[in-house]
Amino acid sequence: MTAQSVLIWGAFSLYTAATFAAFGYLFTKDHRASRAMLTLLGIGLLLHAAAFAAHVAAFWAYPENRFFLPLTSFFGALSYMSLALAAAFFVVEGRNRLGILGAFVLPFAAGALGLAVIFANPESAPLAEPLRSYWLNFHPMLLMTAYAAFANAAGVSIALLIQERQIKSRKPNELCYRLPPLDELDALNGKIIAWAYPVLLIGLAMGFVWSYIDWGTFWTNDPKIKVALVTAAIYGWFVEQRYVAGRRGRRAVYVSLLGFASVLFTFFGAEVLSGRHSYMVGPR
Amino acid sequence: MKLLSLSWSHRSTASTAREALAAVPVERVLSELRGRGFKEAVAVSTCNRFELYAAGGESDAPDAAGLLDALAELAGAPVEAEVEARDGLDASRHLFAVASGLDSIVVGESEILGQLKTAYDVAKKAGMTGKRLNVLFQRALYVGKKARTETGIAVGSSSVPSVAVQLAESIFGALQGKSALILGAGAMAELAAKHLVARGVGKLAVANRTWERGYALAARFSGEAVRWESFPDALSQADVVIASTGAPKAVLTRAVVEEASRRRGGRSLFLIDIAMPRDVEESVHKLDGVFLYRLEDLESIVAKNLASRAGAMAAARAIVEEKAGEFEAWARSLTSGKELSFRHSQRPAR
Repeated sequence: MTAQSVLIWGAFSLYTAATFAAFGYLFTKDHRASRAMLTLLGIGLLLHAAAFAAHVAAFWAYPENRFFLPLTSFFGALSYMSLALAAAFFVVEGRNRLGILGAFVLPFAAGALGLAVIFANPESAPLAEPLRSYWLNFHPMLLMTAYAAFANAAGVSIALLIQERQIKSRKPNELCYRLPPLDELDALNGKIIAWAYPVLLIGLAMGFVWSYIDWGTFWTNDPKIKVALVTAAIYGWFVEQRYVAGRRGRRAVYVSLLGFASVLFTFFGAEVLSGRHSYMVGPR
Repeated sequence: MKLLSLSWSHRSTASTAREALAAVPVERVLSELRGRGFKEAVAVSTCNRFELYAAGGESDAPDAAGLLDALAELAGAPVEAEVEARDGLDASRHLFAVASGLDSIVVGESEILGQLKTAYDVAKKAGMTGKRLNVLFQRALYVGKKARTETGIAVGSSSVPSVAVQLAESIFGALQGKSALILGAGAMAELAAKHLVARGVGKLAVANRTWERGYALAARFSGEAVRWESFPDALSQADVVIASTGAPKAVLTRAVVEEASRRRGGRSLFLIDIAMPRDVEESVHKLDGVFLYRLEDLESIVAKNLASRAGAMAAARAIVEEKAGEFEAWARSLTSGKELSFRHSQRPAR
């Protein structure tokens, strides 16, 4: 086992343990569970950051890869996204007494890192010739950052739907009093998406610019691009509904969850369809 | 050590002695007892109970007859007939049960814990507590907290207004800065206003068909009176609405609420209908972001909470039993010369 795999497995184990602690907190409201969650997550983040640094170092061992980010392999992409998601949760929810949302957000972080450590190949390889561009450090990095934020928002959305159901039922149980207030969840969901949406748009725009610079055309007939545009359209619809038309509540939440489903399809589904954007370029 | 407790509580049907004792300030009780040579005593006086705890060593053991005599004189009435007297383990077990809210009318209510603390502080300040009652009362406060956090006896709100406030907080978060609208100006409307203001609702508006009555109610709570005709406007500004008019048919129709909801930009709206016949059309509950609770919905939540509290009583009793046993062992250890320590189990309760 390399140092990198020890670190990444350690991070994955800690994220998983933090997820269990988060569920423990949700169902018992024992503050020790909340503290355990944040401690496990904090140590996990340190290990994960170290693992990512080790991965970058291994990637840069190939001189032609310097100084590009290792985001073109499944392993690198999933690892980066789960790192961004876990860190965002730690900073946004963890420090805003919204730790109870760990049960809804951390499964995404643990799941993405789990896919990386179990199914993806952590080996590095030289980048394909056309990818050796500094656009690589922006176009996928920004999109993946937006995806991580959307995963965070999706967790908040699920909590929001549960809370809404609880109050609509007229028979709320303990869960209702444990989850954050409806309005707070709504505001958080809106804020995360409103922050991530421009990041998504800039990331997409950079892709088009990169394409124009390298291939002389903005548009390539690539399914992944089309699906990504659909994702952008759905979140655009959410932002319009939420901030322009002033619609909140259940329907807006459904739109944001639809957006996240589209993110998942963009990331995983289009893999099957896409040529230029498939992670085949790196080792699987 | 010798520990005695005398109780007059809501459990006994007769209440003349309890009422007479309740009229006596506890400071007077304590000074009278000191005058009669009692060394350690704490008097607990609330609307539902009057209790006296006294302790001493082998040489200065308190006697029940002497205590009753002093209390009868203070109350100016015989008190002996209705008393529940306990000693030793029974007395500490009783105090721990009281502290846990197991002896309260509303099981698990937390007010009693504060009342015990006050009673203890008063006695301590009067110099009427020594090692025995200091330890006993500190343990009682600890057991009261432990029973509430480790069992379900204090879970859920136990009254209609507190359930309503809790639901409002589940929708909006803190109520500071939120606005409330009260439709009607009757006794129920007034009660609702009182609770909302107590919970820090930022803005209160009252709309009533008879302007003068609505104005008077609004004035009592520094709120704003709204003309009845313009309550739909007020509705689009309010977050919590309490409807308690005497109108023969619904005043908040779906069309009115839908329009208000549109004008509020979809912000949540919490409607509480306590009127009979109803003030709010049932179908508004189906609107996105609108939550309608009727009086019976709130009452059934209260009933469910109280039932689940009752279900947790056995677990709380087990804690009381265990801790009373520990205290008894400590009390015995005082005379054996090898005093036990509580330190091991005295970690603060969560």
